Amino acid sequence: MARISAGPADALAPGERTFVKHRNFEIGVFNVNGNFRAYRNRCPHQLGPACEGAISGTLMGSADTDWQLEWVLDGRVLLCPWHQVEFDLDTGERIRGLGERLRSYTVEVDDGELYVVV
Amino acid sequence: MTVTAPRPTTRDDLVIVDVDVHVNDTPEALAPYVDAPYRRVLDHISTLPRRYLDIPGYALRLAIDLPLPDRGAGARSVHTAQQMREDLDALAVDVGILFPDHLLTMAALPDDVYAAALGRAYNAWLAEEWVSRADGLYGAVVAVPQDPEDAAREIRRYGALDEFVGVYLPTAGVNPLWGNSRYTPIFEAAAEMGLPVMLHSVGLIHAAFPFNVEQFRTILFRHPIQHEFALMANMFSMLESAIPARFPDLRIVFTEGGISWVPFTMWRLDKEYHEYRSMAPLLEHPPSHYIRKFYFSTQPIEEPERPQDLVTMLDMFDGADQVLFASDWPHHDFDHPRQVLNMPFPADVKRKIMGENALALFGIDAPVRAG
Repeated sequence: MARISAGPADALAPGERTFVKHRNFEIGVFNVNGNFRAYRNRCPHQLGPACEGAISGTLMGSADTDWQLEWVLDGRVLLCPWHQVEFDLDTGERIRGLGERLRSYTVEVDDGELYVVV
Repeated sequence: MTVTAPRPTTRDDLVIVDVDVHVNDTPEALAPYVDAPYRRVLDHISTLPRRYLDIPGYALRLAIDLPLPDRGAGARSVHTAQQMREDLDALAVDVGILFPDHLLTMAALPDDVYAAALGRAYNAWLAEEWVSRADGLYGAVVAVPQDPEDAAREIRRYGALDEFVGVYLPTAGVNPLWGNSRYTPIFEAAAEMGLPVMLHSVGLIHAAFPFNVEQFRTILFRHPIQHEFALMANMFSMLESAIPARFPDLRIVFTEGGISWVPFTMWRLDKEYHEYRSMAPLLEHPPSHYIRKFYFSTQPIEEPERPQDLVTMLDMFDGADQVLFASDWPHHDFDHPRQVLNMPFPADVKRKIMGENALALFGIDAPVRAG
């Protein structure tokens, strides 16, 4: 286990992200509505730089919504810039996929500093 | 947007030829090369709003999907030969075969004189500003279906240059289909020059294949049909008129349809051929005999949950010598070469698909990679 500094926590506002290097790859660190999340910058689809994509919401519906569409997860949907694959930034899971997910890392806040545990 | 972070690819022992990459053929780029009467037209069209892959000034493609925010990757385009070389380097691609962006829908232009002028301007622009053996960028002469005689002249003119290695047959909206006898001059010229013909479709709303796609509200369900249906319709049309029997040395390439539709065409047509052989009197063999000699590019490569299924699929049509890697860079649905490299094909099949088949097909010498 090692910890990589990702800078002061208060420098990363909700909706913002930063990147840290680990070995030969990058990890994206996100403030998702006040919670810090970290994911490897590699899409499980074709290995594109997923963490560099737009943060958005998405359209969904189900029996629970009586099959009406809703714009949901606003600020929580990460779109891989290569093929627009959608991930839930809160969990790293591909939205309604086959169980694919971004490799996730624990983020610790220690004395106001962010650390990614690798 | 470009591929900002190239990732390692196991490629040291193979050459990668990408048979489908796209140049951004804007009206302002083509204007200096077009016949005088149309120069002012292209200057004017340059000022008009344009959408992704639309022919500027024309509504051959319609934006009918619900626009969602932040989904903008479709805007990627390549504007110069230098940018293409850099992008292909980032993808670890050694050689690229160039196709247009906007002229993908040119077969549906109703003005045949204008269409032919655009085709000549595109070929001249490619020759002057894009193709280069040193950069591994090769052109496909566009054969404007609205004017087959002019297309044949263009094929003979540019096909004489080493940097032009194929003939692009616009397939979206072509009417009549490519098997029609009016196109015979194009196939004669391609066969004479030894150039493969390459069919490439795209989505559009038009009364020709791929037609009726406006009935789908979303690209999700429209997109898998628009390429494959157009390719299939034109393949059947060309078989119906016995193009591969009449031009036995003509190589025929089907691009941007993936490979999983190919076994269907062989098995279904052979089944029909049992009953209806007399309706294809010029074919000397069952349809599958010819289909096994066609070429198919990989993109959009299928991504089955069991990758071995794709290997089985290739074996179904003896595709090891007939399949050509393509990325479709820079389009929204491009495949990274690694996606095909990582499929569990045997090593010799990977070398063929990723480059050797294309080098042989197009008569390109294997490039020596610097460094």
